[in-house]
Amino acid sequence: MTFRYSLGIDLGTTNSAIAITDLETDRTETVEVTQILGPNRIGEKPTLPSALYLPHGDEFPGNALALPWHDGEKATAIVGHFARDHGALVPDRLVTSAKSWLSNPHIDPKQKTLPWKSGDGVEKLSPFECSRRYLEHLREGFLYAERLQGRDWDLAEGQIVLTVPASFDEIARTLTAEAAEAAGLGKVTLLEEPLAAFYAWTAQTGKEWRSQVSPGDIVLVCDVGGGTADFSLIAISERDGDLDLERISVGEHILLGGDNMDLALAYTLRAKIEAEGRSLDAWQFLSLIHSAAAAKIALFEDPKLAEAPIAVPSRGSSLLAGTISTRLDRATLEQVVLDGFFPITRADQLPKQARGAGLQEFGLPYASDPAVSKHLARFLTRSLTNVRASEALSALVDDARVAGDLLMPSAVLFNGGVFRSDAIRGRVLDLLAAWDGKAVRELEGFEPDLAVAKGASFYGRNRVTGKGIRIKAGAARSYYIGLETSMLAVPGFRPPVKALCVVPQGMEEGTGTLIEDQEFGLVVGQPADFRFFSSEVRSGDVAGQILPDAEKELEETSQLEVSLPAVDDLPAGQPVPVRLNAVVTELGTLELWMQHTRSDRRWKVEFQVRTE
Amino acid sequence: MRILAVIAALAALALIGATLLPEAVQYRWELTIGALAAGAVALLSIFGIRGGGGGTPEAPKPAIAEAAKPAPLPVARNQAEAEVVSFLALLQEKGRLVDFLMDDITPYADAQVGAAARVVHEGCRAVLLEHLGMMPVREEREGATVTVEASASADEYRLTGRIAGQAPFTGRLVHRGWRTEHVKLPRVLRPDEDRLPTIAPAEIELS
Repeated sequence: MTFRYSLGIDLGTTNSAIAITDLETDRTETVEVTQILGPNRIGEKPTLPSALYLPHGDEFPGNALALPWHDGEKATAIVGHFARDHGALVPDRLVTSAKSWLSNPHIDPKQKTLPWKSGDGVEKLSPFECSRRYLEHLREGFLYAERLQGRDWDLAEGQIVLTVPASFDEIARTLTAEAAEAAGLGKVTLLEEPLAAFYAWTAQTGKEWRSQVSPGDIVLVCDVGGGTADFSLIAISERDGDLDLERISVGEHILLGGDNMDLALAYTLRAKIEAEGRSLDAWQFLSLIHSAAAAKIALFEDPKLAEAPIAVPSRGSSLLAGTISTRLDRATLEQVVLDGFFPITRADQLPKQARGAGLQEFGLPYASDPAVSKHLARFLTRSLTNVRASEALSALVDDARVAGDLLMPSAVLFNGGVFRSDAIRGRVLDLLAAWDGKAVRELEGFEPDLAVAKGASFYGRNRVTGKGIRIKAGAARSYYIGLETSMLAVPGFRPPVKALCVVPQGMEEGTGTLIEDQEFGLVVGQPADFRFFSSEVRSGDVAGQILPDAEKELEETSQLEVSLPAVDDLPAGQPVPVRLNAVVTELGTLELWMQHTRSDRRWKVEFQVRTE
Repeated sequence: MRILAVIAALAALALIGATLLPEAVQYRWELTIGALAAGAVALLSIFGIRGGGGGTPEAPKPAIAEAAKPAPLPVARNQAEAEVVSFLALLQEKGRLVDFLMDDITPYADAQVGAAARVVHEGCRAVLLEHLGMMPVREEREGATVTVEASASADEYRLTGRIAGQAPFTGRLVHRGWRTEHVKLPRVLRPDEDRLPTIAPAEIELS
């Protein structure tokens, strides 16, 4: 099959976007997404907010919320700008951050749980289904927009690349790929978002990017979006006179982003307004968040501005009587955003740990420490641990890049709306310089606008044509199966669970391993469960290696389940000897198979999300 | 519709002119907003005229775009009026324009008017920038001496003072003018052709 185009899809936590590269003309452009802007009103916007609203049956008349591709049927859920803006006033019916629920270890993403904690009478959807609907809307929106331009693409002729956070584990990646398939996109290729940003930068700067990096460089991709912060490190080396790029470390899933900053500013301004004896209702507070965000941008964009005015309109029709005005001054802005989220902290100041503390108010594990600086320090500390765990990675890292417990980048590529501000970028560079004792440079020529979608599309183009660079990535984590230890029962003592490494970190796409030394006995007709673990910091482990204590050294990811169907030559009740075969597909998803030792037969192992 | 456009455009010009008078300083907010509003109404009326002839305000440019529409919508009755109301609804939704204009402004102090004006300014400006490619007719600074070529479109220039002789004309740029190169408005669907769309729905909070 020959591809005619490459389609990059950025399924974001708060906003989604699409970009297309026409392989004939080799031009990449973003595609505006048709969406509902109000009852009986549709139009195109550069992004599709990842918000889903479940309207009440009598809320909007007739087909007021129908999209052009709906063929007149009444919409049960709407996605996009109107969903987000209207849903903010009807929170019981609004789903946001569905993507983060996909990687939530406490909730089965296929259970109907969203909107989270909504009242009676609201039909619920699963996080998986929400993601499927966003993707379906993007697919239809893409085809529709292109048809309006006179281009009729066949999805089968497109190389489709879907981005996921680098922090997504295999379960969340697999679920995302499944959702894409269920949305009619076929088998999509997955790409980590920070890598997509890097690809976008190489595309935007043309050949020039090669002069900005040199062998020995470690590039930090620092991506702070609306709702999440995602970090990755890319090592640059030289092979046969050409630059070789390898992603050597990925961060954890941190639910902290630009929205937190706008909210923090809005809280500060509300306190000021209330201190003056005036009060805001919930609707006005939403409006205050928007105004605070706009004022933040204005102040950051123009360093000469001392303060920005803010007007919060009345809810009722008397704008003149009810508008509340206040001002955001630069000192407050810097105190709240720069010092609150990007303080100059010491390299050994790590975020307060709240992981495993149970479900929080909104059910999502929002970062309990707002200091991005500390999360960055934790990431760089873990990166050093990870690199030191393997000789291959250690060889890529110069000793000069180690500062105390941190693996220090020599250059930074910023992505995400937060970093449009010079002041915030400057603060992060100051922070890194303080840790490293020397300046860390910023990669230039990057336009972060919709970069992830563009980068994904460009990566797809590289994949198809074989042109341009490829960053060596492979599995971001190593994966393990839990083996129960057989030992005498001792009261009050639980035997440790051993862990068998089945996927080593860095295992490349399109390769597989067969664990020769370990045989499992599966019984026909009985489902067999295994505990499944992962680690981001054990780059040295090899397939087949056994760790003595899984619970102490690894993170539990999910459960695995496999069941053998009854077949004639496999007698029921008898154990069938199998070996474990792990495959990282060309598309970037992980598959585990149980391979019969005496035949070519194999059975797929399914991921079961742990629920408690 | 055409009459409305003319009246509104004149009102806009008058108000813009008034803001330049020194004694109008204390009313500058009201006047600026008034000018903006009147300008917007003029704009609406112009769309109305255009829309009346061609169906949707987005005049389909090349033939392929037209052919690509899955099923061209039949032009509904009152479609032009519906488009105007819908654009006004957008200005109301984003910039509270109708609330501002329909309120009685007399009892309020300038500070209150100013605060409300910020809401109108921020929202309506965003609508103009997003949906209409706003640009000045002349890039030069106002007060500069400029030349109007003979080939210039008559609707882009208004000559005042002593008009004599042949083009090109040279004179002082009093107002830089505004124009748009594209109009990209949301599409209005009309389930009920007998009714015009609502400008702003009544909001009722259920508890």
